[in-house]
Amino acid sequence: MNYKTKEKVNLTVGYIGMIIVVMAWIYPVFFLIVNANKTASQYSKGDKTEIIFGTAFIDNAIKAWNKGIGDGVVNSLIYGFCGSSLAVIFAFLAAFGIVRLKMKNGLLWFLLIYSGTVFPFQMYLLPLFEAYVAIGIYNTKFGLILMYVSICIPFATFVLRGFFLTVPWELQELAKIEGASNLQILYKIMMPLAKAPLLLVFLIQFTWIWNDLLFGMVLSRSTSVRPVTSALVGMQNLYAQMDGPTILMATVMASIPTLVIFLLLQRHFIRGLTLGSMGTGKG
Amino acid sequence: MNFNKDTNQAYLYIAPAVILVSLICIYPIIRTLIMSFTDNDGLNPANFIGFDNYIKLFLDPNYIIPIKNTIIWTVLATVFPVSIGFLFAYSIQFLPRSNFFQILIYIPATVSAAAAGVLFGFILDKSGLFNQVLALIGFEHLNRDWLFRAPENTYSMIGAYTWQATGINMMIFLVGLQGLPKEPMEAAKIDGAKGFTLIFKIVIPMIMPYFVIASLLALINSFRIFDSVWVMTMGGPGRYSETLAVTMYREGFIIFDLGYAAAVAVLISLVGLVFSYYYLKSVLTKEDVS
Repeated sequence: MNYKTKEKVNLTVGYIGMIIVVMAWIYPVFFLIVNANKTASQYSKGDKTEIIFGTAFIDNAIKAWNKGIGDGVVNSLIYGFCGSSLAVIFAFLAAFGIVRLKMKNGLLWFLLIYSGTVFPFQMYLLPLFEAYVAIGIYNTKFGLILMYVSICIPFATFVLRGFFLTVPWELQELAKIEGASNLQILYKIMMPLAKAPLLLVFLIQFTWIWNDLLFGMVLSRSTSVRPVTSALVGMQNLYAQMDGPTILMATVMASIPTLVIFLLLQRHFIRGLTLGSMGTGKG
Repeated sequence: MNFNKDTNQAYLYIAPAVILVSLICIYPIIRTLIMSFTDNDGLNPANFIGFDNYIKLFLDPNYIIPIKNTIIWTVLATVFPVSIGFLFAYSIQFLPRSNFFQILIYIPATVSAAAAGVLFGFILDKSGLFNQVLALIGFEHLNRDWLFRAPENTYSMIGAYTWQATGINMMIFLVGLQGLPKEPMEAAKIDGAKGFTLIFKIVIPMIMPYFVIASLLALINSFRIFDSVWVMTMGGPGRYSETLAVTMYREGFIIFDLGYAAAVAVLISLVGLVFSYYYLKSVLTKEDVS
């Protein structure tokens, strides 16, 4: 009885403490949303903690969209979808070849592909820029997609190789006896089994591409090509002093897709994230 | 016989991945390494100059600042996110139905470094939220332009980065803590172990592998920190908050001393590879166990 009451008190104190800490922790997000809903002068002259109920966010959203974040969002959606899905397809093929077709020196081929994600990105930048300018794909959507696809392949191959190692061999033998080709086995047997890892890898890579700043800065320049992060930073440099709330609104808009993906996936993310951050960290 | 055919076919399956990775990832790595031994400036024919770029990197007093900042970043941006992440995970697992807290704490980690940098640019501004809150609780004399004064700017940025980088560490530790056997903890509690004794003597030794993974991951990411610094200060004022990754970008894409930028990139990689080696080793052994 006494022990139970004590336990209850402890829990209540714990909850209250946690609520206070978490509220403070999340307050910058609250600040972001509240101030994205102010006019420029309300923000610059007023109390930053004040909540103003109004509809300034609509105005700010339209301004933010037109001043650059709109192009950025559209571009990054293209890069995210194309880059991530192509990377997943190529990695799926490669992992299938290495594991299920029992490639000679399979591990070495895997390590060759995987080596693409071990080095810091600083090692890629100069030659990529140089080569992109030389062959004329600098500042093109094609150039960025090419780079994002290639850079996402190593991690995707890593995860999908892990998946293929777990699929029982009997399935494949049976299909072989019935006369199925390798491509049919890949498409009809492996693909349905791999739905979960394929989706997970797709979403993790989409998030990484969406959040990338460095490659967008180095390989693109114009508003019609640059991804959402470069667009946001470019806007900040131009308008942050004059019109804070519009930039804050742009920040909200640039953050929604990855937030939604996290809420959808939540804990499934962890495994992938801890492994994936190797090449795709926040540096 | 079927077997041989499969092996040959396999080359077709891996071809797209191998070709793309070789062109976009492996070729640049080799090229950067070669470049770092030249005086390439993007215009004139490059000459081989041996280790001159590397020597310059260590002797030029201008580059003491980025090296010093990078060390500060590497230490603090590892210690804070990992330890705060652990504290969050440790407290959360005592509270039943605390999934909601977990999601809220993780939200900053879903935002890009660019977006978080822009947000903290506003918060740490001279007339921003942080100074206002300081004044509100009676510390107005501490008010300053947090991102425009060294060394405050480096520490402020590490604070903002910690806010973002803690979530992933919390998640790693939650996985570790949930996998712990309950008996040793119960036994220790019955023996009267409480609070910090329990944490340092029982819990931390038991989840040591997760500490190693989280710390190495944090080291890898903080040593090559670029996005946060670039967005909040661009390495300024002057070069007072520059880190090596920013130096590399500045030398390569603004000053066009490509050879020197390549040498900085190689230096970042060498240190990064050491961290990565131990990281992969600990992750892969973990995988085999589970």
